[in-house]
Amino acid sequence: MTTYAEMQEVFDDIRNDFRYEHELNGCLNCGICTATCPSAHFYDYSPREIVQLLWTENIEQIYDAMQEKIWACAQCMTCAARCPFKNSPGGLVAIMREVAIKHGFQSAKDVLRPFGRVMLKLITTGNQLSPDMIQPDHFPDWGPNIQKVQGDLKILRKAIPMKTLQTTDTAWEVALKTSVEMYTIWEMTGVLKQLETMDENLFDVIEDFIEEKREEYDELLEKQADKEDA
Amino acid sequence: MSETSGGIAGHGAFFQPTNLSAQEAEKATAWVKKRVDRRELDLGERMDDVREHMWQLEKEGEIIVHRITDAHKPVMVKTLFGWDKKIPTLQLWHHKSCGQCGNIPGYPTSLLWTMNQLGMQPGRDYLDETDQTSCTAWNYHGSGIGNVESLAAVFLRNFHQAYVSGKRLGHQPGHFYPLVHCGTSFGNYKEVRKYLVENATLRERVTKILGKLGRLVDGKLVIPEEVLHYSEWVHVMRKRIASELQKIDVSHLRATVHMACHYSKMVHEDAIYDPEVLGGNRAAVGTSMAEALGAQVIDYSTWYDCCGFGFRHIISEREFTRSFTIDRKIKVAQEEAKADVMLGIDTGCITTMDKNQWIGRAHEQQYTMPIMADIQFAALACGADPFKIVQLQWHASPCEDVVEKMGLSWGESKKRFEDYLKEVKAGRIEYLYNPELAVSA
Amino acid sequence: MNDTILVVGAGPTGLSAAHGIASVGRKVALVEKVDRLGGTPILSGYAKLVPSGEWAKDAIGRMVARVESNPLISVHKSATVTRLEGEAGSFTATLSNGQTLAAGAVVLGTGFTHFDSINKPEWGFGTYEDVVTTTQVEQMVGAGKIACPSDGRAPERVAILLCVGSRDRQIGREWCSKICCTVSTNLAMEIKELSPKTDVYIYYMDIRTFGLYEDKFYWKSQEEFGTKFVKARIAEVTIAPDGKRLLVKGEDTLVKRPIVIPFDLIVHAIGMDPNEDNPEIAKVFGVGLEQHGFVERGEHYTSSFASTRPGIYVGGSALGPEDIDTCVSHGLAMAMRVVGDLATLARKAA
Repeated sequence: MTTYAEMQEVFDDIRNDFRYEHELNGCLNCGICTATCPSAHFYDYSPREIVQLLWTENIEQIYDAMQEKIWACAQCMTCAARCPFKNSPGGLVAIMREVAIKHGFQSAKDVLRPFGRVMLKLITTGNQLSPDMIQPDHFPDWGPNIQKVQGDLKILRKAIPMKTLQTTDTAWEVALKTSVEMYTIWEMTGVLKQLETMDENLFDVIEDFIEEKREEYDELLEKQADKEDA
Repeated sequence: MSETSGGIAGHGAFFQPTNLSAQEAEKATAWVKKRVDRRELDLGERMDDVREHMWQLEKEGEIIVHRITDAHKPVMVKTLFGWDKKIPTLQLWHHKSCGQCGNIPGYPTSLLWTMNQLGMQPGRDYLDETDQTSCTAWNYHGSGIGNVESLAAVFLRNFHQAYVSGKRLGHQPGHFYPLVHCGTSFGNYKEVRKYLVENATLRERVTKILGKLGRLVDGKLVIPEEVLHYSEWVHVMRKRIASELQKIDVSHLRATVHMACHYSKMVHEDAIYDPEVLGGNRAAVGTSMAEALGAQVIDYSTWYDCCGFGFRHIISEREFTRSFTIDRKIKVAQEEAKADVMLGIDTGCITTMDKNQWIGRAHEQQYTMPIMADIQFAALACGADPFKIVQLQWHASPCEDVVEKMGLSWGESKKRFEDYLKEVKAGRIEYLYNPELAVSA
Repeated sequence: MNDTILVVGAGPTGLSAAHGIASVGRKVALVEKVDRLGGTPILSGYAKLVPSGEWAKDAIGRMVARVESNPLISVHKSATVTRLEGEAGSFTATLSNGQTLAAGAVVLGTGFTHFDSINKPEWGFGTYEDVVTTTQVEQMVGAGKIACPSDGRAPERVAILLCVGSRDRQIGREWCSKICCTVSTNLAMEIKELSPKTDVYIYYMDIRTFGLYEDKFYWKSQEEFGTKFVKARIAEVTIAPDGKRLLVKGEDTLVKRPIVIPFDLIVHAIGMDPNEDNPEIAKVFGVGLEQHGFVERGEHYTSSFASTRPGIYVGGSALGPEDIDTCVSHGLAMAMRVVGDLATLARKAA
């Protein structure tokens, strides 16, 4: 049972994000954000409601909304473009998501579990979806027609006249150095920490992968240094 | 200003034709235009242009601005509030899109092919290399994993690479200017640039990270003068593309245009509005290219609607995405607009609309609509091969229909491509640019 | 010291001020930039004014008539002031027609400019013919017929969108334009009267039919004319699937549900912008503008209607969004100020 104090902490984390002040100025309850929100059409979700809860500092209902509601948002930012107060409900939802992850909400873990495959690809390679993931068995509801020329994926990708795209396990070929730079960014900005909180197993897999790549890169640097000395 | 007939600007109680000649009409309404000119809102200090703060920061020695110079042959356009935006047309660094390169390879290929056709030289006038990370915004918006710092660090890392990329080819720093392919990257970078310019703490923290990566210039962050989306390049080049390259008449085709949310609604003051396109009432990109090619661009009731991509939803909550896109976009384009093709300007939108049609059958919603990017459509109209260049074989929607309507034979193109595949197997691969250019580090 | 008073602008404020000053025997030079007197209510073709219900051409016409027939008031039409020199007690004004005028004080009744809906394009004005402004509906009422501009048909359903150009940080117009709620509810009733089969919906954030207007307009428009109010700010106006009508997209915030509704005619309740000539006016008269772009005024308790320059007074909608009745009152108040201050100056000089 979460205590009120714990919920207060969660709200304070949201409020102390430096973007909060810019993205929430007050609310006229005009409803223009919900009017144009794609998620409001489909889910029991309303950006106006989220803003109202935050603005009136309704600690308990904010905590509640962070369980499921905030994951309905499609992050299209139409709300921010229309709000006469220049609030950004979509931006506020992004903050709330980060805070939910930071606090290791079980609901966040549940929501993100199916996203894990994509996360692995992203964190390790920097690309979201690689060609070898767009196969009928991964996305059966996209239909059987997602590839109108049959054949070996490697060959089909080599038939794309851009060198960088001639890969199958990444969207484009990423230099080793580039990947290693990205790992440094993930580390230094706390993203790997977030990942650890969300999915320990996935995190372990990723950590191993990153270590491997770093070793590879160190070897590459040594080889280059040797070549230069020679 | 004579008011002898009452009302303003000749509007009586009824709207009657004035029967004025074009010149007379121009004279009569000139005073209206003076004040009512598109986007001439006198906003004074009440609207903030982040670029002013950016220049100020550079003056104070805090950052370096990657400038658009005459060498980039920039064209001026206007944005939502009538502010100026510089669009470089030459010497571009391709900031690729995960979704495009992974699922819609014909998207960037069509763009580079068009650049080649216009006489741009790879290695001098544009560069595509491996030293680029994803912007990581798709993941951020979908999962919340990530934060402003990581987004900012990635932004600056990539744009630093763009800044120095010309060195290995003997060019000056800043030679290649970054051209962002994806709408989400574009929106994300616009936002992140704002945070960086306005928040000193963020700059401090990110400087440490970039320092560790060796990606500072004189110890400072490099921030681009403008954040540029590929569709903006297409917009300013559209007349040249149509007049110099177009080979196929598309005036019989009805096209609907889907405007990407992250292009036009995220940091919406930075999007192109052009009085020649849709009266300047809606964002110009996408529509402008279709119109320049002579296609009929059809208005429809859900023009402003999101496609339903959702970032996370398209992967792990797909009923939302497909219900939304079929109901609000595909069905409308087919039934209401009776379009032959729906054009988009962003990766996610095109993926969403293209991949979520077949499933409609399961819900007795059988609607189909060929989906492709504005630049893919343009490339087709300029004679690009539907398979080898436009790579339409990766599109689940019935693009073969619109290809046939353009007078091309899908079957023949397919056969040619299958023959080409044999060549590829044997190692005889065709390239848009010398493959050695792609490898940097 | 000169005892003529220069009044700039012949709308309700200026007409009221001019008459007030003349009624105590002082001379007035009334300068008006267009070729007829009456100001916006006449130029924009307003129909019946609120709250009186009198036709603008009658009510304002009366004000114009008594000014034109007053021997103490000299009227200068189709002229603007291009230069002003001097100080309180003795100013010299140069007009655009070359004339010079001497005056002891200046009263600014320069008014406002209607918000141009073209600057809120997602609400359809400029894209769709059947999106009009309240001003254009006033003109329809004046002509006695409510019709869709596209094909002349009588609209079955009309939507009035409130706060167009008001209460909107997106376009730098954070103020409330005060009188549009009252005007809109009034127009809703007039539309119903002229076209009984037409249903009128008003989309609002708040209803500000202040003071005694509450039941005269807000309640009456519902009870006697069946006007329907929906608390929803509309996000966009787009073409309906039938290719003819227009869709408004909003959230009915009171029942918490997104709505998309077709209408035949859409009316923008446009706000009151600062006069487009204010930057010029500020320069010529040497007065300051406040943060929203209207003319700056003195503290109201003991320096009512003063501008930032001694000897120059400002009132009416030049100060901010204002209704006609109040503008008339401002005119008289300024007349009092001017006459009083000049008398004080005269005593000091003596």
